Amino acid sequence: MPRRTRWIIPFCLLAVTACAATVRGEDENPQPAAKLPPAAERPVDFIKDIQPIFVASCYDCHGGGEQEGGLQLDARDNALKGGDSGRVIEKGKSAESLLIQYVAGADPEKVMPPEDIGDPLTPEQVGLLRAWIDQGADWPDSVALPEGGDPRAEHWSFQPIVRPEPPDVKNDLWVRNAIDRFILRKLEAEGVEPSPEASRPTLIRRLSLDLRGLPPTPEEVEEFVYDERPDAYEQLVERLLASKHFGERWGRHWLDLARYADSDGYEKDRPRPWAWRYRNWVIDAINADMPFDQFTIEQLAGDLLPNPTLNQRIATGFHRNTLTNTEGGTDKEEDRVKQVVDRVNTTGTVWLGMTVGCAQCHTHKYDPILQREYYGLFAFYNSDKEENIPAPLPDELAAYEEAKAKFDAEMAPLKQAVADFEQNQLAQRQAAWERELAAATGPLGWTVVSPVSFTSAGGGTLTKQDDKSLLASGVSPVKDVYTVVLNTKQKRVTGLRLEVFADDSLPNKGFGRGESGAFVLTEITVTAAPTGDPTKAKSVTLHNASATSADKKSPIAAAIDGKDDTGWTIDGNQKDKRQVATFEVKEDIRFESDVTLNVTLRQVGGDNATLGRIRLAATAVEPDQVSELIPDHILDALTVAADRRTPEQQKLIGDYYRTIDPGFVKLTAAVKAQAAKEPPYPPTLAQTIAMIEEPRKNHLLIRGDFLRKGDEVPYETPAILHEFEPAGEQPTRLDLARWLMAPENPLTARVTVNRIWKHLLGRAIVPTEDDFGMRGDLPSHPELLDWLATEIQAQGWSRKQMIRTIVQSATYRQSSAYRPELVNRDPANAWLARQNRYRLEAEVVRDSFLASSGLLCRKIGGPSVKPPLPADVAALGYAGSVKWQESEGEDRYRRGLYIFFQRTVPYPMLATFDAPDSNTTCTRRERSNTPLQSLTLLNDPVFFETAQALGHRMMKQHPSDKAARLQYAFQSCMARRPTGRELEQLESLYDEMLAEIQTDKEIEGQLIGDIKVPPEEVTDTAASVAVARIIMNLDEFVTRE
Amino acid sequence: MDRIQQQMAQTRRDFLATSASGLGTLALASLLQQDGLLAAESSDPLAPKAPHFAPKAKNCIFIFMAGAPSQLDLFDPKPKLNELHGQPLPESLTKNVRFAFIQKESAVLIGSKRKFTPHGECGMELSDVLPNIATCADDIALIRSMRSTQFNHHPGQLLMTSGVPRFGFPSVGSWLNYGLGTASRDLPGYVVLTSGRGASGGASNWTSGFLPSTYQGVLFRNKGEPVLNLSNPGGVTLEMQKKGLETLSSLNQARYERIRDPEIASRISSYELAYRMQTAAPELIDLSGETQATLDAYGVGRTEEGMKFGRGGGKGTYHSFSTNCLLARRLVERGVRFTNIIHASWDHHSNLDQEIEFNAKMADQPVAALIKDLKERGLLDETLVVWGCEFGRTPLGENRGGRESNTGRDHHPFAFSMFMAGGGIKGGQVIGRTDEVGWNIEEDPIEVNDLHATMLHLFGINHLKLTVRFSGRDVRLTDVAGNVVEKLLV
Repeated sequence: MPRRTRWIIPFCLLAVTACAATVRGEDENPQPAAKLPPAAERPVDFIKDIQPIFVASCYDCHGGGEQEGGLQLDARDNALKGGDSGRVIEKGKSAESLLIQYVAGADPEKVMPPEDIGDPLTPEQVGLLRAWIDQGADWPDSVALPEGGDPRAEHWSFQPIVRPEPPDVKNDLWVRNAIDRFILRKLEAEGVEPSPEASRPTLIRRLSLDLRGLPPTPEEVEEFVYDERPDAYEQLVERLLASKHFGERWGRHWLDLARYADSDGYEKDRPRPWAWRYRNWVIDAINADMPFDQFTIEQLAGDLLPNPTLNQRIATGFHRNTLTNTEGGTDKEEDRVKQVVDRVNTTGTVWLGMTVGCAQCHTHKYDPILQREYYGLFAFYNSDKEENIPAPLPDELAAYEEAKAKFDAEMAPLKQAVADFEQNQLAQRQAAWERELAAATGPLGWTVVSPVSFTSAGGGTLTKQDDKSLLASGVSPVKDVYTVVLNTKQKRVTGLRLEVFADDSLPNKGFGRGESGAFVLTEITVTAAPTGDPTKAKSVTLHNASATSADKKSPIAAAIDGKDDTGWTIDGNQKDKRQVATFEVKEDIRFESDVTLNVTLRQVGGDNATLGRIRLAATAVEPDQVSELIPDHILDALTVAADRRTPEQQKLIGDYYRTIDPGFVKLTAAVKAQAAKEPPYPPTLAQTIAMIEEPRKNHLLIRGDFLRKGDEVPYETPAILHEFEPAGEQPTRLDLARWLMAPENPLTARVTVNRIWKHLLGRAIVPTEDDFGMRGDLPSHPELLDWLATEIQAQGWSRKQMIRTIVQSATYRQSSAYRPELVNRDPANAWLARQNRYRLEAEVVRDSFLASSGLLCRKIGGPSVKPPLPADVAALGYAGSVKWQESEGEDRYRRGLYIFFQRTVPYPMLATFDAPDSNTTCTRRERSNTPLQSLTLLNDPVFFETAQALGHRMMKQHPSDKAARLQYAFQSCMARRPTGRELEQLESLYDEMLAEIQTDKEIEGQLIGDIKVPPEEVTDTAASVAVARIIMNLDEFVTRE
Repeated sequence: MDRIQQQMAQTRRDFLATSASGLGTLALASLLQQDGLLAAESSDPLAPKAPHFAPKAKNCIFIFMAGAPSQLDLFDPKPKLNELHGQPLPESLTKNVRFAFIQKESAVLIGSKRKFTPHGECGMELSDVLPNIATCADDIALIRSMRSTQFNHHPGQLLMTSGVPRFGFPSVGSWLNYGLGTASRDLPGYVVLTSGRGASGGASNWTSGFLPSTYQGVLFRNKGEPVLNLSNPGGVTLEMQKKGLETLSSLNQARYERIRDPEIASRISSYELAYRMQTAAPELIDLSGETQATLDAYGVGRTEEGMKFGRGGGKGTYHSFSTNCLLARRLVERGVRFTNIIHASWDHHSNLDQEIEFNAKMADQPVAALIKDLKERGLLDETLVVWGCEFGRTPLGENRGGRESNTGRDHHPFAFSMFMAGGGIKGGQVIGRTDEVGWNIEEDPIEVNDLHATMLHLFGINHLKLTVRFSGRDVRLTDVAGNVVEKLLV
């Protein structure tokens, strides 16, 4: 193989030159044509002149199924499309064609064929190739495809699925359905008898674990074991298929493929608080037996269905389970490309059972997938975006709608009252108010006061403007304090107003003197004195401040709180170039003569956030009227005679009046108060996929590098598979999903039934479930696989029907006991002369312990839970990024599939029992057997708690009968009665535990835990707990037999 | 022999009998092999296996300095860089380079405040913050020409731990245990010790990827309970545990006799090892048998007094890291194949001078003590000690957001330093050279895959031949590359 690895690199280098050449090519023609042998000067015939050269020098690596660097020279269309690095034949331009440059050895580093593969082409041969290209690269239809085609096209899994006839067998009596004929046929050929049917306790436990992921209760076992109806088994199957736990069990299988997790992954590993909404969808869809084609289409393209329902959009959460890297410094485009790559690869593995991901950086080494085709699939996902949408659960929505209706009903009369008032009273009342104003004698608004002295402590220059405002210029200090002296022409001061203006002379035409245009008034203080007599100065307390705008964190009150580290600043988005703050004066400031005010404006927040232009005004109206002073611009409008006002002025006055009419204000306040009671829309969101408006240009990425864009690649599917026919001009994910579920697709049905089979028989028909390609295993029962694949389609893609068919077979019902005589002949039990037995999956281990102890909470769906976790486990996450707030109450006892899955810190028990890490799609879980598993089951507090619960149950059920107690515990776990010998051993262990417990009072209490027990039962309860712990550690309990 | 051991021994013999008749997995074969009872190849996944050729190393201690320490302040002196302090880097070097945080336009070089002097007979130049490691210079092979392909921590760490910058692949320790098994009877073959803040990669740094979890790293804590769930629940006495496990074993065995599934035999042996770990693991972390001189040499009990720290891990980190180094030696003594000491973080984007001093002081004494201790006990020859990290740091000052104060360095995968000692490594040499500012490698570039190929080689493994079929590919630790670095070998 050295030549393969070697030639990947030259072809990639080639890509760089290729790009350069096409960019510069047209007019400059930079190629050293002089170095190339001249083109032949005669008409060239492809079949006579060209093909022989290809055959002799190229097809070793670029023909007969080989396509190094993605270049296939024995199929016309592919040859003209080029390789991983782009076109190699530029029709009519032989000098620019990479093919010529390579065979001519234009660059000694990149010569084709490679030195160790073949001799270089003669100048005559190069000349012929050049002439052929210059003459249009004519390639007749008759030889457009290689003789015999690509041998890989013959691969079994690419062949159409044809329904085979179930074979005849000798032992018809054993056969329960078609499946058994395929299995028995092989067994009879090998001269092997199938195993006997498993006992009823084993059957119900097997079925219950397979279909619900929970062991049967002792009552269920009794009922089934004594059920004398001829269809007792079928009835049981129906009960289990109808159980809501079915969706949890088979949903978890699907979540493995969906790489479901509750966090982003990578360094930051941020939680995904709404991931579970998709999990709910999966459970519901599977419980409803949504046909697998619909199940597929909704997950891959639910958003693109006509008028998609909320559920169809939630389904697209499938591809939101991709990791997200939010580590500082991550290149966003790189991460996006990685996500698309994961989505393509996951789709390939889950639906096609193909390792398409291998073609990301180069054409697939083994399977007929070109790198270009990989990016053809990439296109379908390349124009997606992630969107979190409101996704209330049905009961949340119902509750909301009810509350909303009630709210609306209460709101309606309030709004009506406002409307009535507007219609019937407002205009008259406003007119009356205006008449009142016209008759008034005192000042209606603020009186602007011209400053008599003003200074900038920071060294800035303040200049008085015509409008009596002060404009700052000159030195612009980081901090400043303005002191302004005002001689009012009034003997009393009850209020102060500060106006702040944006000005064209200020940076960015803003309010402040710094670049940001912002200001912070840290404090405003005032003293008052009779004019000309500063010795009588009194300090003035400002209160009841209000402002036209304020930043949330910097309210106007912060300017009069006596602190220099807080202050007033306006909301940065203000468009109004004038902002106003008003203050009331707390003391009664009143002198015999006029009042002089000394105003200090502290602006010491730093960062140059000083005031640019200000103006001050005062008032002497009664204190309770200060807040009612009419703003200047309203007064201005009011001075215009009513019939000469512009519509803007009318509106201005009208709007203002609405804020002061007591009747109207009362009614609108009632509306506002009610509005605050509006029930919030349910906060539940769902992570979904949607399309961006303008599809991205889709390029091949050279070596998979997001920075190295190759040729633009259209939406396409691998040519080795059935034809892709998009519904419209612009292909979409919906077309891809429909293509996957097309009846002509040879892979998806096979891949899907293979997985279902694996979950029920412990071994897949094609053991490499993720690889149906050239390197994958061959099916053990190819005809059975195809029969199942046609059956699932014939049954409308019903998952439940497929499962029903399989579990009803005699094959499924066999005992799983080992057959020593077959160990050497069929070590992997591929013939299925018995069922398989295997350790339960991580979640089912937990669920079984909780169920048998009676602790299990059987609630279906909802947010993920956080059962107890040893304290320093969470600390393994990066810099305390992982917070683990333990769940309380019944949530501690939820099923394993609901445990919050933090990617960088997986729940230890799940990881110990081989739960997938959820970083990429997982088609096959390991089933390891380690001492850490033993320690978990023996000592993990969560598991010990189940032993305690079972111990208490034992006593409750059989307070006075030791043997019955032990039998009960054994049956609760194993679904069968213990044998005499087993019971004997447990009894003697019980006695030994009892003896040990009696040596130390403290032991009792610790074993029993927090639950209250009558004094006479304490020791026996403690012994029951101790023995329950051992029973629950039996291999049989964690094994599906 | 107490009762449980008798029981287990009986179980073993029964298995031996069935195994002789050709049936199934014999999980205890390795132990029997040690007892000299069984010569045949075993199917216990962790039984010691023969390498491809005679190994130099038997065990590995991989000290993973996550976050990426600055090689320019520890291992790779650059006088020219100090001269050019404050100057921009020629555009030719940065043209096609991406940075995590640096703004290219305004970036300038920053020199190192550290003083480098030659050490040992070999004259290896090392920074003044590593005075103790400097005394091991003649045992150390210092590589100044490591290269990574990854810019960000998590992918970088995955590459360094598993040879591939993606999820789902086994880490070095898993590969070694998969390929060679482990000699440790009472402890797992792959132990992880951490201190400081968690590494970005979390548990993915010691995952077994697609290999069974048998091969994944087991995280030991260096105080309290060393392994999760090691202690019996309250109320379960030693006697009750023994009696319980005896009955458990006997019932499982009866089941085995009926069903004949070898997995039941494995389960019995898992419980047996678990039981032994219950004694062995607490014994491992019980340091009361160590002399005061040893404890002092490693710096166990040190405090960070007088040191300022921010990212380094906070109070208690010195003691914790020292303890981990000592535990690593104790693990080697007990035959544990791969020990991974992980410390984070060295991610000094700012405040470099203070932070690196804090971290160096933490690491210098115990790491040097570990090398010397192993040497004195005659263990260094068969123990490979590696100081590694995911990448290095830039000679440019970090000016995130155009900031003017350059007090840290950004990620730099193009050239960084690591060192190795023992286990067949030729000490007293410096391998590779970077350019005058430490930007690019000028001599002997070593890729992460080369490093892994060399590590496997030291263990007697041809990296091309240690493969596992996964996803249609024969996957190796070294991905599709890797060359053994001959210069590193004795």
